[in-house]
Amino acid sequence: MSVTAAGLRDRLQNGELRGLLVAPIVLFDLLVFVVPFGYLLRISLTERTQRGAFVEGSWSIEAFQYVLSTPTLIDSFLFTLWFAAGVTALSLGISLLYAYAIWRAAGGLRVALLGGVLVSMLTAIVVKLFAVQQLFAPNGVINQGILATGVIQEPLALINSAAGAVIGQLYIVVPYSVLAIYSVLSSVDESLLDAARDLGAGRLRAVVEVIIPHTIPGLIVAGVISFTWSVGSFAAPLLAGSSAERTTGIAISDLLQQNFDWAAAAAMGLLVATTVFVALAVTYGLLSYTGGGTDG
Amino acid sequence: MAILEVDSITNSFGSVTAVDDVSLSVEAGELFCLLGPSGCGKSTTLRTIAGFEQPDSGQIRIDGTDVTTTEPNRRDCSMVFQDWALFPNKTVRENVAFGLRMNDVATAQRRQRVDETLSLVEMTDHAEKPPAALSGGQKQRVALARSLAFEPEILLLDEPLSNLDRKLREAMQLEIKSIQRETGMTMVYVTHDQDEAFTLADRIGIINEGHIAQQGPPATVYTDPTNQFVESFLGTTNFITCEVTATTAVEPATPEATDGGTAEIELTTPFGEPLSVPAVDRLSPGDTVTASIRPERVSVVTASSEPPASWLFTATGTVEQRLHRGSRIRYELAVGETTLVTERRIDERLGVDIGDSVAVGCQPEAITYFDAAGRRIR
Repeated sequence: MSVTAAGLRDRLQNGELRGLLVAPIVLFDLLVFVVPFGYLLRISLTERTQRGAFVEGSWSIEAFQYVLSTPTLIDSFLFTLWFAAGVTALSLGISLLYAYAIWRAAGGLRVALLGGVLVSMLTAIVVKLFAVQQLFAPNGVINQGILATGVIQEPLALINSAAGAVIGQLYIVVPYSVLAIYSVLSSVDESLLDAARDLGAGRLRAVVEVIIPHTIPGLIVAGVISFTWSVGSFAAPLLAGSSAERTTGIAISDLLQQNFDWAAAAAMGLLVATTVFVALAVTYGLLSYTGGGTDG
Repeated sequence: MAILEVDSITNSFGSVTAVDDVSLSVEAGELFCLLGPSGCGKSTTLRTIAGFEQPDSGQIRIDGTDVTTTEPNRRDCSMVFQDWALFPNKTVRENVAFGLRMNDVATAQRRQRVDETLSLVEMTDHAEKPPAALSGGQKQRVALARSLAFEPEILLLDEPLSNLDRKLREAMQLEIKSIQRETGMTMVYVTHDQDEAFTLADRIGIINEGHIAQQGPPATVYTDPTNQFVESFLGTTNFITCEVTATTAVEPATPEATDGGTAEIELTTPFGEPLSVPAVDRLSPGDTVTASIRPERVSVVTASSEPPASWLFTATGTVEQRLHRGSRIRYELAVGETTLVTERRIDERLGVDIGDSVAVGCQPEAITYFDAAGRRIR
């Protein structure tokens, strides 16, 4: 017994069994990710049927053919890509400005700005979207504020519209995005800005030349978070968008619950997941190309 | 002509006055050192010249033009930072080219200028490396090259060598000095290291608690300090607290003289021997006077031999300590109620042992006197 324990320890120390150390994580991944995903894959390859969710034990690519030949589903998929791209671009812009503000702020202001992000991040999505509805409603604070300035005569359709879906989604992704960028920015020496200014760069140029290149790894992570989350968005377009903002999340939900067509829903889900994987792979390539900030 | 004029600037941060009515002027081609302990306001002064801080009052002129409110990127000066602040995402070449690029220098000219500057600081071989791949001394060279490349009127250096070890620091001091001679660049150099200031400076300004205590050529500030802070900051010295017992007016004060006439003053000293010194007639009995004797100017003879008649005083002391410090030996002598420190080069060592009795004294010109407010008494 003791001989085996010592032998095991030796083999662990020699690195022969180092693989064992990652076993818990591998097991976890298998259970919560690979198994359900395999299950989804299997369902997507069954025959569709009117008399149930799917035909058990059957093999067919009918579901994929159906998804790829149904214009509403393709539209929904394309809309989702555009929606995610738009949200990502806006999220990056807003988050970069916000993270920069945190970085440049001192003392209490910095704490308040960081606190704001954390509070927003820790607020449940439904609560957040309810707040968005109140804020951006035609008679909400924001519309009333703009009306009072006299710039517009009619309230803007800031909810129950595409704008609403985007705003709602931004409320969800921006806090994560800000933290991803700020985490990189916080390691930048502020004297670099002084140095750039000293060498003749104007304020904006100093930031663009010296600070932005430094934040690229953070921007990439923020982009990945914003994009993958928006591709799978469901709550924001549902609660803050109109019926025209049908993301794949909503389409899949309809397939599951209204059409009771699990095979098609699974096929659609796989298409979305594949898109996300491709996006991640491209990002990974970019990260290794730029060195992932390790040269920072 | 003065290329940089700092005209009584004052900088406050909240209730703290970091820079208090500082004025200085630097000639073209001169290397001016701002020397002072940490937190004395020397870096703030430099940052104000560079434009990173706004003075509450006062004016800064470069080449006769008022630049007090000018943005840092529009001032014709460049700063070498204490931590060098090299751009980590750019190569050495890109770092050095940065200032030229910001000043819209054409590509071909830029390339040539970068090559020249890199060769001036002997970094040509490292041009394509990122700063992270360089040693401290090499980073220092790149930082210097980056500021030199676009040929500013004035180079500002904020303790640029304080992150280097002693040997490298001394080598770089000489190099900076030779680059300054070669390029004729005007430099304002901030340091807390008096050896560095003495090695480099054409003129030194000694800063204490936000104001300039004294400025002048290195030799002058060392041998002829105007106040007690300068005397204590520039190297070690023996301060002896004395009390005025009597003053005898030699030459009465004239209405024109602002500081009174001259007088002969009598002092009691902690080593028992009274001192009699000529001084301005503004002291009265009971006043405290601090006498300062530099360790190298304390004279010592063995108790058996006759002390020279030229000594200002002769006191009896005991050797308390003898410390070998490389090329020098330091002796601590108990004299009356005080301890005097003296130093000798190893080949001029005193033939004394710990516990030996000695005669201690000094030449009249070896002592400087300061009044209770720290002002020099002449």
